[in-house]
Amino acid sequence: MRRLGYVLTAAWQGFWRNPVMSVAATLTVSLMLLLFAFFIVTDRGLQAAVGALESKVELVLYLDDAAKPSDILALKARIEKDPAVARVDYVTKQQALDRLRDLAQRKEDFTVADLGTNPLPASLEIKLANAQDTARLAASLKDELGRGVVTDVIDNPTVVEKLLTITRVLSVGGIAVLAMMLFVALFVIVNTIRIAVHARRDEIEIMQLVGATDWFVSWPFILEGMLVGTFGAIVALAILALASQPVTSAMVGFLDILPVSLGANFVLQLALGVLGFALIVGGGGASFSVRSQLAKGARA
Amino acid sequence: MIRLEDVSKRYPNGTAALQDVDLAIDQGDFAFLVGASGAGKSTLIRLLIREDLPTTGRVVVDDKDVAQLRHSQIPQLRRLVGVVFQDFKLLPTKTVTENIAFALLVTGHGGQIVREETERVLALVGLTHRSTHFPRELSGGEQQRVAIARALVNRPRVLIADEPTGNLDPVTSWEIIKLLTRVQELGTTLVMATHNAEIVNALRRRVIHLDHGAVVRDEREGLYAA
Repeated sequence: MRRLGYVLTAAWQGFWRNPVMSVAATLTVSLMLLLFAFFIVTDRGLQAAVGALESKVELVLYLDDAAKPSDILALKARIEKDPAVARVDYVTKQQALDRLRDLAQRKEDFTVADLGTNPLPASLEIKLANAQDTARLAASLKDELGRGVVTDVIDNPTVVEKLLTITRVLSVGGIAVLAMMLFVALFVIVNTIRIAVHARRDEIEIMQLVGATDWFVSWPFILEGMLVGTFGAIVALAILALASQPVTSAMVGFLDILPVSLGANFVLQLALGVLGFALIVGGGGASFSVRSQLAKGARA
Repeated sequence: MIRLEDVSKRYPNGTAALQDVDLAIDQGDFAFLVGASGAGKSTLIRLLIREDLPTTGRVVVDDKDVAQLRHSQIPQLRRLVGVVFQDFKLLPTKTVTENIAFALLVTGHGGQIVREETERVLALVGLTHRSTHFPRELSGGEQQRVAIARALVNRPRVLIADEPTGNLDPVTSWEIIKLLTRVQELGTTLVMATHNAEIVNALRRRVIHLDHGAVVRDEREGLYAA
């Protein structure tokens, strides 16, 4: 308890004894954490966007005008049994025309001439649970062509393939970029703390001379590093909180087709992640720095 | 208390700092280490507090082979052997009291013991009235007395002084020597490396003379030069 008291006091004093150095270290940590948080937010936003795009992926079956309703419903039931299918909607000829008129009303350069007959076919719209199954399902549905119900199978393999590529690149590339960011952050922070430890090598030398254990020498520095990390995290999170509103509205304005929402849970996770990262990097960096100084002091 | 058995120290660059040194210093003894710069005095001191290891031979302090100590046992040795340096090694941002208490705090002491022991050694070195001053506000002799107080506060059984008067004028040097003599008379083993012939000749204590890393003279009531 007494030891803990000493270590806590020494860490607090160590932080404030050289305020310029401490503030410089804290700001360095803040900037690294901001980059870290920015990357996580971007990554999460892109993942959400891809998810939203994926849920829009669908297959469309155009139906023969002469097809019997019972055959259509039987086909619909069969497709719905496939586990890869999330939902099948039947769109009548009239609904298709209504949609087109609706679209035309919103687009000034688009008009629908009054037609005597409705040229649009009825269709089955298939929403998939998993975009990866598109190709397989499309192939199996092409067997329905020429049986009197389905006149055409519309899929969009290029869009699907691109989305899948984006998802893969993001998850693999994301981990790689995150690892690099961690390395850079660790490197900068360790160096900053090393300067602070080096500035107090006399103190470390005297502690070793009077018989302080390594525990006593290192823990004030490690806690001081964690203090730097905590303050850095607070500054970074404050900046994030201030910036989040304008950035979010800008993103929603830019990507209004995508229902991207990060949610309160994500904000909490991000805050804890940033703080945890800061503590580990601050404490770990200080531990690393003070250990190398200790080794110099006691070569034996 | 201190025993060196056939100790040699050779640095990686080939310099032989100590050669076949055999020595024994009993508990409560007072021994001067004399010799020219580079004769091996500082190396010998570094071996005693395990800042360095002998190349061959054994260094025994308080019946323990210093080289055999585990890393975690080194702090125990350093509490047993207090050290005072020519350049004092005080922390400039701490007051006199804080500099001394520091040695107790970082060895796990707290509260009442720190206050009492700090006051005890402050009185012993005669600096109670300077307790709230910072090192830069003190004279060289006063700074060395703070360093001695810090070395004594953990009640070591051996006090090693490496050129303790090297930076001090003759009058102040004598004050420091009187203080160290008193510490020795209170039962602490004292090993003092020095270039100060006047002090060695006046005290007529044991003199261990090192030359090129070898003990060339070891007299019970010796003089600075043979």
